[in-house]
Amino acid sequence: MSTTSQKHRDFVGEPMGDKPVTALVGIGEILGKKLEQQGFDKASVVLGQFLLLRKDSEMFTEWLKDASGANSRQAGSCAQCLREWCDAFL
Amino acid sequence: MSLSDKSNEEIGRLLAEYGIKHGPIVGSTRTLYEKKLEKAMEKAPAKASSDKTYYREEEEEITYITYQSPVTHETYAQADMLKRRGKAQPDEDEESDRATEPPIRITKRTANHSAVRSKEPVRKSGSGAWKAIRLLLLLAVLAAVLYYAYCRVINNEESTFSINVNSGEN
Repeated sequence: MSTTSQKHRDFVGEPMGDKPVTALVGIGEILGKKLEQQGFDKASVVLGQFLLLRKDSEMFTEWLKDASGANSRQAGSCAQCLREWCDAFL
Repeated sequence: MSLSDKSNEEIGRLLAEYGIKHGPIVGSTRTLYEKKLEKAMEKAPAKASSDKTYYREEEEEITYITYQSPVTHETYAQADMLKRRGKAQPDEDEESDRATEPPIRITKRTANHSAVRSKEPVRKSGSGAWKAIRLLLLLAVLAAVLYYAYCRVINNEESTFSINVNSGEN
């Protein structure tokens, strides 16, 4: 997965601040709504979950697929963008 | 014994048992870990506990003399059990019996009963080996004494009384 999308570059390039959950790579409107229903209304809350799972991509993708119904590709790219964001800013 | 009834700490311990790396078990992570545990339990229901059993066995197991590559403990345990039940002898006799038999078995001394495997034999620890060694020593001494006496008798028949072990070979 060497080609990163614009969304990815936008997210990883700056602190996420108060960005909504749909700013995450792989999370569109539908998945975003599902996450918001569970209380994950901001990208930072999903980041919190990522950190709780010790930044383990496998665990996080599994959780995300369960929580939002994302498929493997979407969950994987979300995990990757979060990981890179952590590398840059955490 | 459902997973959702367990406390967070217990879930954490179970995860560690199955070798699953995990983070803090809180509200949002708990469901995920419960699912992982269920999957792990399905794959290997008795594995966690049987690992403990093996650990205990290996802790106290002392291989006597094995002429074969390590075979499963179960078959030997069952063979041991059957043999001992068939003989119905007290422990001391069994252990000396074991010494004289060809030692192709793995002797186990497990002092702990495990919940999963209740077929394991319970043995005293330590005395078996020493009894066998003592017995062998006794036999060796007895043989030496008899041989010595025999030589003396032979010497007395042939010539004057002389204590010479080597002459017995003539």
